[in-house]
Amino acid sequence: MKIGPLNIPIKEDFSFKSILDFEKTPLNIFLAVSVLAMLAMFAIGVITYLIHGHHAYGVTREHPWGLLIAVYIFFVVSSTGFCIVGSLGDVFGFKRFEMISKRAIFGSIVTIMAGFAVIAFEIGHPVTMLIYNVLTPGLTSAIWWMGTLYGLYLTFMIIEFYFLLNNDMKKAKIFGLTGLLVGLAAHSNLGGVFGFLNARTISNGVYYPTYFILTAFITGIYLSFIVMGFRYKLNFDQKVKDLLEGLAKIQGLLIAILFFFMTWKLLTDMYGGMPNRAEVAHHMLHTAPFWAEVIFAMLIPFLVIVKDFGRSPKLMVFASLIGMVGIFFMRYNLVHDTQVKPLQMMKLTEYQLPPEWIEYFPSATEIMISLGGLGLCIALYYVGTKAFDLDESH
Amino acid sequence: MARYGMALDYKNCINCKACEVACKEENGVELGAEKHRIWVGGNNPDGQWPLLDIASAAFMPSQCQHCEDAPCQEVCPTNATYYDENHVVRVDAEKCILCSYCMNACPYDARYVDDRTMTIDKCTFCSDTRLARGETTTACQNTCPTKVRTFGDLDDPNSEISELLRTRDHFSLKAHLGTNPKLFYLT
Repeated sequence: MKIGPLNIPIKEDFSFKSILDFEKTPLNIFLAVSVLAMLAMFAIGVITYLIHGHHAYGVTREHPWGLLIAVYIFFVVSSTGFCIVGSLGDVFGFKRFEMISKRAIFGSIVTIMAGFAVIAFEIGHPVTMLIYNVLTPGLTSAIWWMGTLYGLYLTFMIIEFYFLLNNDMKKAKIFGLTGLLVGLAAHSNLGGVFGFLNARTISNGVYYPTYFILTAFITGIYLSFIVMGFRYKLNFDQKVKDLLEGLAKIQGLLIAILFFFMTWKLLTDMYGGMPNRAEVAHHMLHTAPFWAEVIFAMLIPFLVIVKDFGRSPKLMVFASLIGMVGIFFMRYNLVHDTQVKPLQMMKLTEYQLPPEWIEYFPSATEIMISLGGLGLCIALYYVGTKAFDLDESH
Repeated sequence: MARYGMALDYKNCINCKACEVACKEENGVELGAEKHRIWVGGNNPDGQWPLLDIASAAFMPSQCQHCEDAPCQEVCPTNATYYDENHVVRVDAEKCILCSYCMNACPYDARYVDDRTMTIDKCTFCSDTRLARGETTTACQNTCPTKVRTFGDLDDPNSEISELLRTRDHFSLKAHLGTNPKLFYLT
């Protein structure tokens, strides 16, 4: 270890050359090429957006939030999830989970940075936002609280990570706990962004602010399996197996709770008699992304866990990859289903039928920026593994 | 200081769309079907021929409802959406960050993106055009051939709109949402 700027311990051999130096297995080469391709797509997507503005996106007056909002949510949920998993060890003192704390906290930093990178190209005026967020804060706005708290959260996560690197566990615990609380507040406010919409009966209410915390924990556990799977190349020693078995058992419980939540949400949506809500719920049930969410994010990983009570860590790594695909659909569905029912139910131009459902499909630019966010996230994480010692300190 | 509102005798609407054109002309609204501050909505008649319910196909002119408790104002993270001194819901383009939250929160689909300023635009009751010049009517009201719209101060008991609301039954759109719109549909 060498001491870098600001007393940050950096790996002895860290250099530009060490970043390019990796085991040249087919999977690694495939991953490296994919990440480079995704970063190139990010650049192309951003340039297209800078030239054409929101016209480069598939968003419309009736469907103003598109794929980028879903991907932003995907990343910040991942960040909160990583933060919760990281806190199990270094904040709450569960010894079994301590070995993943540093890695998870680093993961929470890179995922939220990827989220910010994506949302910067969805918000029309990000610089104006930074200025007027401070000068004229809209305190009744969930977006204001969410954005401000996430900014604070990122700061606390970075400070916590700094202390973790320096093995100052006491200070790491203080900033970890503060960061976790701020992160949970930020994240439930993100749910509140949808929960406050009284015009959108499918999303209105307390469900999303609480559900977001639950699904963040689930997401964090999937990501933990993925990063640990890569770290140990699926050859887990007993200590890692214990950690992953513990996480799998928690995951089983969380998914079961999620099934319960979702079932009641759907039942009350469909049979609660709220105007418009039942129609949207029935509409949702007939769409493929909804079933992708249920099968990939919940059913498959749940079956893998209950098969032997979480004692198949290798299988769980693959189930977690599938789970993350499902989590993406979960975020996409949340955004799309909120807007799918038109607010204007009359025809506004001649020779047109009254609108029934709002159609939306992401444009190539949106897809490129989204994949770019993923590439950015993986690249940052990879550089982090080269620069910092993310394993448990002894 | 006034509390501006509008009464719409909507059954008189003949869907000539002169109001839409006048609004675009007066306020410099962008061209294009998606870019509109006001609109005339229509329904296909209910029922099947020959038992069609012609009355159900009435035209419904509409726009921003200038709600007393506007969801778009509540959700704005930078207070770019504000109530001006006449209780008109306005947007300060300089503060707007184009997060589009207000577009999602507005129950009336009354907001859209102005591509020239890259900010959210909406009906202003002609505050920065006709009212600023000292006129007392909005463009849509002034042009309407069947006098559907009556614009005025709800706090002035002698105004034409106050008289109309005193003497005619009226309703508001999506009143159950508690937004307290200041657009009143006369029945």
